[in-house]
Amino acid sequence: MSNFEDQLRAALQRQEPPRGFADRVLERTGRESADRLAPARRPRRMWAPVWGQLWWGPLWRIGAIAATLTVVSFSVTTYQHTREERAARQAELALRIAAEKLNLARDHVLRNLALPKDN
Amino acid sequence: MQPSYKASYQEGLTTLAAIENSAESRADFESLMRQHQAMVFSVAYHFLADRSLAEEVAQDVFLSLYRNLDAMKSAAHTTSWLRRVAVQRSIDEARKRKRRPQASLEDTVEPATPAASLDMLRSDVLRNDALWRMVAALPEIPRMVVILRYQEDLSPAEIAAALDRPVATVKSDLQRALALLREKSARRFGDTL
Amino acid sequence: MKRALLLLGMAVLAPVVPLSAQIQIGLDQLASKAKETVDITLDGAMLQMAGKFFSGGKSDDSKAKNLLANLKAISVKNFEFAQEGQYRQEDLDPIRAQLKAPGWSKILGDRSDKETSEIFTKSDGTRITGFAILAAEPKELTVVYIEGAIDLADLAQLGGRFGIPPGVVPDGKGKRNKDKTKGDQ
Repeated sequence: MSNFEDQLRAALQRQEPPRGFADRVLERTGRESADRLAPARRPRRMWAPVWGQLWWGPLWRIGAIAATLTVVSFSVTTYQHTREERAARQAELALRIAAEKLNLARDHVLRNLALPKDN
Repeated sequence: MQPSYKASYQEGLTTLAAIENSAESRADFESLMRQHQAMVFSVAYHFLADRSLAEEVAQDVFLSLYRNLDAMKSAAHTTSWLRRVAVQRSIDEARKRKRRPQASLEDTVEPATPAASLDMLRSDVLRNDALWRMVAALPEIPRMVVILRYQEDLSPAEIAAALDRPVATVKSDLQRALALLREKSARRFGDTL
Repeated sequence: MKRALLLLGMAVLAPVVPLSAQIQIGLDQLASKAKETVDITLDGAMLQMAGKFFSGGKSDDSKAKNLLANLKAISVKNFEFAQEGQYRQEDLDPIRAQLKAPGWSKILGDRSDKETSEIFTKSDGTRITGFAILAAEPKELTVVYIEGAIDLADLAQLGGRFGIPPGVVPDGKGKRNKDKTKGDQ
């Protein structure tokens, strides 16, 4: 490669875009994501009719997740947070079912205890 | 009839899964963007010689990547796809704004640079800047050929694929553009290169 | 986009992770017959993630976090059917066979006309290290398997929200509560 071509290469070296470029792009893609996910978003009362309880974590968390879709940057942190919430909700549902069936067993036992005994 | 608690949970979990998938895609996308932003921006900037315009084009390119993320087959495919889209969008932008009338290579006049002593002109920074401006003064296609050759180190075959032109034409464009640039550079800097 | 492009190294959250040396529930063939299926499998890593989510801000969250902290795995399969007769008791035999392994004891086995409830615990001699429920109802079948140091009293204390009045523990410990509340079902 000639000296001139080396100079051309130096003159045409890659440059980083202006500061904040990535954030601006993510903002635009964030708006697109929000629109794309709009049908999948549910109001927070999705959890409420059955629970009405706060044990299942603040219901606003679902709203907060949905709200982040319209926020500028959708970072790795949000992804991780969503994974954690999904694991938590699955654990909640699993424990709830377990407790329900424990209760069922308890009811069975109590029902049997209430039956008159044959002598 | 109220949905069962299980149905409510399943609905919520489906929503979270959708959000998670979206977040994961965005995490992937963000990483790709940071990896390739210099390449995309530089193609546009060196071609259009306008930073804000170059950023506009670069943003559009990455927005397009975001919409087509699922179509990316591999890292290499993504790189070549981004490069091709950056090239096309840059050329489209230039034509849209009619920044440079089409001219033959021989008619091209390089833009004026601030007067400076010969020693200053020979300094690397100013030389690089002057060289780039000479490149920016080239007609569109030869300009892009030079950028892809010396910014991106692409072979003539790769340049031909990016520009959708025959390889022989690309080689010819490159040869002529180099000859002109050498001549202009020699006139400007008094070098024998 | 191929996962090879995951430069951040984030794995996709897999809803089902094979658990070696655990109780294998199976019963996958019932999903096609069920009108509603819950199939949850959480390994240690996912339970840790769940625990992180319960940040401990509220007292109930901290109880949940504490409960989950000692668990190694949870598997739940629940099938709701539109009609009776969509499964057989024999479908549960492979699970029952696994629950006869050393350390496991059946602490409750209740059978009524159309329902059976079986509760098993695994112990290391000093504390419960595993817990399983087989609940067979006319139109619903549930298998729960929990591995880890679960304190059934703690689980019971989360009652009122789980449908278990506080203080009722199937193994006979603790007070029996005559409250007939079934919880928010």
